[in-house]
Amino acid sequence: MTQVAPRRLDTFTLASEPGNERLALARVAGAVKDLGLDGRRLERLKTAVAEATMNAIEHGNRNHPEIPVEIEVTQDGDRIVVAISDQGGQQCPEPGDSPEEPDLDRKLDGGQSPRGWGLFLIRNMVDAMEVTTDGQRHTIWLTMRTGGAAHDERV
Amino acid sequence: MTSACEATTRVLPGTAVIELSGEVDGAAATVLTAAYERAVTEGPDTSTVVLDFAAVDYINSTGIALIVSVLARARAERRKVVASGLSPHYREIFDITRLSDFIELFPDLDRAVSQLTPPAA
Repeated sequence: MTQVAPRRLDTFTLASEPGNERLALARVAGAVKDLGLDGRRLERLKTAVAEATMNAIEHGNRNHPEIPVEIEVTQDGDRIVVAISDQGGQQCPEPGDSPEEPDLDRKLDGGQSPRGWGLFLIRNMVDAMEVTTDGQRHTIWLTMRTGGAAHDERV
Repeated sequence: MTSACEATTRVLPGTAVIELSGEVDGAAATVLTAAYERAVTEGPDTSTVVLDFAAVDYINSTGIALIVSVLARARAERRKVVASGLSPHYREIFDITRLSDFIELFPDLDRAVSQLTPPAA
């Protein structure tokens, strides 16, 4: 079987300013528009990209506009891989962003902050999520298969 | 390409409707809190608050946190919160986060209002 090399679809940087996650999701959506991702899965990928970019801006680069968030979109067979990198190194959660799994009952009773949904949403939106750290460079890798996945059967 | 959140509040018998538009994110906190405040101040007998998302084009995790805060306050005040006009994608997010266990979802505002308010005599 012939192996096809991964194909880079787009690479770009964004200033670390609140709101720029909207630019990221629009640009990634444009990069993958011809790959046959159905509308529902495209919306999921957009949400995951927005949340991961927001984390990179706020927690990774601490809202310093001069430190860019780097985003690369690659097609590898039937997989779309979006890598979102910041310079936050090994990140510690912000106060109020609980590292524990969000529990709505506890949030409603005041036992957990109302916040802390970002990583939970990302994990539930894409087929796979991986985080790597290389020195100060912190990258979240989002993978979505163009043909759908068992993941879809759950909801 | 971004649009700030705006809210219009209408008080009906027993029900208050908050029609949201734009983006429900961290910047929407003041707007959403003020809208809820208006809803319960202008309608002290309000037992149900409808959040209508038909004109909302973006909700992020901070926006979800705001909705959780509104829901927590409403529950503490023994009020019910329902939602209408969510796109299929955001309905899915309401399911994943379990918000839909606590917030009844209606396809559109007309159906929510007709079901929640008594028919005119």
